[in-house]
Amino acid sequence: MRLVTGLVLGGIVAAGALGAALSQTRIDPATGAQVPGAAAPTAAPAATRPGIAVLNRAPPRGGQVDWKAAIGGLRQSGGGNPAPNLNQAAVDMTRVPILLPTDGDLTAGARIYSFGDYYTITADAPGAGVSLTGTTAVVPLPAATPLKVTPMGPEGAISQRTVDGQLISFVRYGVLYTVEVRCDAPTDPRCADDNYARGLAAKTTAVVMGAAARAAAGLGG
Amino acid sequence: MRKLLLLSPLVLALSLGALALGACDDTKPAAPGSTGGEVKTPASPEPGPPTPEDQPSDGGAEQPSSEPIPPAPGPPAQPPTPPAPSPATFNHDAPGVIPTGQGHGYLDRTVWSPNMCWPLQDDAFANSQVYGHGGGMGPAGTSQCDAVNYSLPWHDTFCEARARDNPLCAGGGTGHQGQDIRPAACKKNQYWAVAAEKGVITDIGSYTVTLTSSAAPHRVYRYLHMQMAALAVHEGDTVVAGQKLGKVSNDFGGTPTTIHLHFELRAGVAGTTTDGKAVVLHTFLPPYMSLAEAYQRKLNGGSCS
Repeated sequence: MRLVTGLVLGGIVAAGALGAALSQTRIDPATGAQVPGAAAPTAAPAATRPGIAVLNRAPPRGGQVDWKAAIGGLRQSGGGNPAPNLNQAAVDMTRVPILLPTDGDLTAGARIYSFGDYYTITADAPGAGVSLTGTTAVVPLPAATPLKVTPMGPEGAISQRTVDGQLISFVRYGVLYTVEVRCDAPTDPRCADDNYARGLAAKTTAVVMGAAARAAAGLGG
Repeated sequence: MRKLLLLSPLVLALSLGALALGACDDTKPAAPGSTGGEVKTPASPEPGPPTPEDQPSDGGAEQPSSEPIPPAPGPPAQPPTPPAPSPATFNHDAPGVIPTGQGHGYLDRTVWSPNMCWPLQDDAFANSQVYGHGGGMGPAGTSQCDAVNYSLPWHDTFCEARARDNPLCAGGGTGHQGQDIRPAACKKNQYWAVAAEKGVITDIGSYTVTLTSSAAPHRVYRYLHMQMAALAVHEGDTVVAGQKLGKVSNDFGGTPTTIHLHFELRAGVAGTTTDGKAVVLHTFLPPYMSLAEAYQRKLNGGSCS
């Protein structure tokens, strides 16, 4: 049995200062296969024990990213690295486009940890922490388990209230990205609702590509 | 059945900001502190000498009394052909079994982290720190140190009624996002929590430690309520499975909770919404079966390395 896993949220040109254009995309939900021109994180087919079967096999890597759209986003964001403080070796080994918020104060002290097909950037704010992740590795949920979420907008943005903050997920360039804010104080308004996290996600528009991503995108590393 | 789903019609460029992420917030994030880039200093005060006899306070809970728990009228979700039960032999409830009035469990027997290391160095007891004895919504006049909290069987607490979001939970999509685990005895700052997988400590908050697995699908494990002032790791550390992270305590951002480890398992997932739309997001997965099998491996003499 195959699990329906596709998502049609790729093909998005990165939002610049004035926003961005959105391209039309398609996907076959029965197979997760991308119709030409689209891209999205896809998951391996499930078996009797879907979690084990999928988690024990190699993750999807490469070929899932909509590099054309990502290059468009890179160009719109100027092609530079707004956070030169990030560890360059980690940036270079990351095989997905790295997204950063256009917030120099936040990114100035940020740290990146990369596993190639997954990265996480950790940044500090007074009394809070911000984590930004991107990955093409996803696992399929049992088909009979509907998720009680309401994706919003063309990137399918989803907010979740965590124990200590807010977690925003969205898909851009075929990559699953998250913006998570956690607050030291339970009463911190930045975590009481998702306005702050959504605002941060909305300005997470700067695209950075290291050597591996550039090579995968055909930019010559 | 195969069918093509056509989504994402062309949208004007200027509308993306609003459509992509809902209402934009023009609020400028607060400027970071001058120590940006440094490992954050835990909020907990520096502890004194070990006090294993320290009497814990009762009644703390991750469920604030000011936030009502939404009703969950819907039936629990369950895959139509559930996989075989866990081979674990110790006394533990089936996954998804939650007492009446404490929410609807998520009846998923999937072992989402099949090779996970048991995340404590010693034996421990999985049960509810909110609805159990001494919990914020537990039986009145009881103590968190009651023997019932430190006895088998284990109880699944994923999707237990809480106010926080959990898209897998029945009803309105709220519920407990992880598993509560009490240490071997009702003593804080004594029992080690250890790394569930090889990975990197990617974030440390005022009462949270985040471990991201090196191996795909890069599961994210969050450990809450350890003794933050005396952690054995720092952000950026690479850890191996079974490596000591910190001691189970009751740190909760200044307001103590009960002595327990809130253990969370997250990953990027692909699924469908209740109205049939394909969706990809990063969310919480039920850790109970992974914990049960990991604990059984420990009982069988297995090691994490």
